[in-house]
Amino acid sequence: MAILECKNLSKHYGKVAALEGVDLSIEPGRVVGLLGPNGSGKTTFIKLVNGLLTPTAGEVLIEGSRPGPASKALVAYLPDRDFLADWMTVEQQLRFFADFYKDFDAEKAKEMLARLGIDPAQRFKTLSKGTREKVQLILVMSRKARLYLLDEPIGGVDPATRDFILDTIIRNYNPEAAVIISTHLISDVESVLDEVIFLKEGRVLLHEAADSIRETQGTSVDRYFREVFKC
Amino acid sequence: MDWTFRGDQPIYAQLMQRIKQGIVSGDLPPGSRLPSVRELATEAGVNPNTMQRALQELEREGMVYSQRTAGRFVTEDVKQIERAKRAFAAEHIRVFLEGMGSLGYDRAEILALLQEEKEDAHGNFGM
Amino acid sequence: MLGKLIKYEFRATGRVMLPALGVLTVLVLLANLSVRLLDSRLSSFLTVLLVLVLIATFVAVVAAELMPIIIMIVRFHKNLLANEGYLMHTLPASVHSLVWAKLIVSLVWLLATNLVIVLLGGLSVMHLAQMNLAQLLAGFPSLEELRRMLASVGLNMGDFYLVLAELALIIILSGLVSCLHFYAAMALGHTFTRRKGLMSVLCFVGISFAFSLITNLLGIQEVEYLNTVTVVTVRGGLNVLHGTMGKSFFYLLAQGALLYAATVFGLQKKLNLA
Repeated sequence: MAILECKNLSKHYGKVAALEGVDLSIEPGRVVGLLGPNGSGKTTFIKLVNGLLTPTAGEVLIEGSRPGPASKALVAYLPDRDFLADWMTVEQQLRFFADFYKDFDAEKAKEMLARLGIDPAQRFKTLSKGTREKVQLILVMSRKARLYLLDEPIGGVDPATRDFILDTIIRNYNPEAAVIISTHLISDVESVLDEVIFLKEGRVLLHEAADSIRETQGTSVDRYFREVFKC
Repeated sequence: MDWTFRGDQPIYAQLMQRIKQGIVSGDLPPGSRLPSVRELATEAGVNPNTMQRALQELEREGMVYSQRTAGRFVTEDVKQIERAKRAFAAEHIRVFLEGMGSLGYDRAEILALLQEEKEDAHGNFGM
Repeated sequence: MLGKLIKYEFRATGRVMLPALGVLTVLVLLANLSVRLLDSRLSSFLTVLLVLVLIATFVAVVAAELMPIIIMIVRFHKNLLANEGYLMHTLPASVHSLVWAKLIVSLVWLLATNLVIVLLGGLSVMHLAQMNLAQLLAGFPSLEELRRMLASVGLNMGDFYLVLAELALIIILSGLVSCLHFYAAMALGHTFTRRKGLMSVLCFVGISFAFSLITNLLGIQEVEYLNTVTVVTVRGGLNVLHGTMGKSFFYLLAQGALLYAATVFGLQKKLNLA
C-alpha cells in the first residue's frame, strides 16, 4: 500500500487556492523532495498530511486512513520552527516523546544527543538556535515512523549542521518508510532524493525520479528547477 | 574516497564510476568485502536506493557479486578488472588527446611533449 | 492519552500555580503577623513596612482569584494556538482529549485556589481572634443542631445533602462553562488569519452578549455561580429551589455543550496555526 495518497487534494482560503487538484502517491522506501518557491503550497501540503489543516476538496490518505489520531501515530513531523515546550529540559522532552509515541527510540535519541555533546539537563529555551534545531531533528528522527515530513529542515543552519541533518536522514533510512523533504535549497539535498515533486502555485508540475531528470535533461535537479521556475 | 558529484549525470552512474575506480586502483582489492549499502550511502552522502541501484548495475557488469547473507564482494576476476582499467585509461586518453588537439598540437608534438615530461620527472609522471 | 495529557497539563500549569499559591499563603501569614505586631509603640519605619505587607496581601488575595483564569487563558493559547500547537495537534490524541485535559486541570486550579483562600481565611480568623480550631468550628451549627433546625420546618438531612450535591454540581458545571467561555472565544478567534487576538476578544464579548440575551429571554434568574442559594423555610419552597437548580443545571449543560462544540470546531476543522 502506498504510504501517502492524495486524490484531487485542494485547500482554498476564500478565493485563493493554496493547493489545487493534487494527485499523487508515494511508496514506502522513498525519499521525496517537495520543491517549489515560497508560497507554492509546500507547507500547506504538509499541514494537510499531518492534520493541521483540513482539505477544502479531495482527500489525503496515510496508509489508507484519513488524518486523525491513528495516522498521527504513523507520521513524524518536523516543522520549520521551534515547536517544543520551551520550559522543559531536553531530557523531559525525550520522555514526553517516549510517553506519547510508541515508536520512539529513546536510546537512539540519547546516543545522538551525546554524539553532538548536547547536555540533556539543559532547558530548551536556553539552547542556541542551532542546538534547538538539532534537538528537534533528533527527537523526530528517533521515531520509527512510516512517514517523515520535514519542512525546510536545512534552511538557516550552518553547513556542518546541514551535513549532520542529511547524514541523519540517510542513516535513518528505512525501506518501509517514506521521507518527504520540503525545501528550496535544492543543490544541498539533491543527492539524497529518490524522487522530486515540483510545486507551482499550488499545483503539481512534475513528480519524477531524480536520476531520470538528470538523464533526460542532462542537468542537475537544481539547474532544472531554476529553468522551470525562471522569473 | 572522494564523493563529489556532477549535477548533470545520474548519480547512480557516477557512483558506479567511483566504485569502479576504487576497484581498479586497488583501494578495493579483488575479492574484498564491500561495506553495506547503508554504510556506503552514508559515506557518499547519497540515497541508499541510489547506491543500491549502482551496486546492482555493477553486479550486472560483473565488477561485484553478492553472496546471500555475506554481502557484496569485489570480483576476483582480475581480467575483468584489467578490462575496466583499460576502459578508464582509454577514456582518459581520449579526453587528453581531444584537449591537446584543441590546442593545436599534432601527434608528433604530443609524443615529444610526453617524452619531455618523462625525462623531467625522474621516472614519475608529474603528479 | 487523556491521562498523559492531564499529567503534562498539571506539570506545565503547576509550575506557576503552586508557587503563586505558596506566595499567597506566605503573604497571608505575614499579614496576620503584621496585624499582631502593629502597635503604636513601633517606629514609623516598621509601621509603614507592616502596613505595606497588609496592602500587598490584600492585592495578592484579589490577584489570587484572577490567577487561575489568567493562567488558563495563557496556557490554552500558548499550548494549542501558538508554536506548541505544532506539537500538540500532531500528537496521536483526539481534539477532545486535548480540550478535556485543559478543562479538567483548569477546573481543579479554580477550585483549589478558592479552597486555599477559604482555608487561609479561616486560619486568619483563628489567628486574629485567637481561637483554636475547635472554637472556630463551634461557631457553625453541629450536624445534630442542623438536623433539629431542619426538622422544625419539616425537612430532613437528606434534603440538606441533596441541595449540597446539586450546588456542588452546579459549581463544577459553571466552572467548566466559564473555562469554555474563554476557550471557545480563543479557538474561534484564531480561525481568522489576521488579528487573531482581537477576534478572540470580540468572540468573547459576542458570546457573553449572546448568552445574557438568552438568559433574559428565558427568564432564568440567578444562573451564576452560588447565586442559586435561597433561604428555604417550607417543603414547597424547597421544591421551587430544586426546580430552579434543575433549570440552571440544564441551561449550563446546554451552554457548555454549545461552547464545547465551538471550541472543538475551531481547533479541528478550522485550525489555522500561524
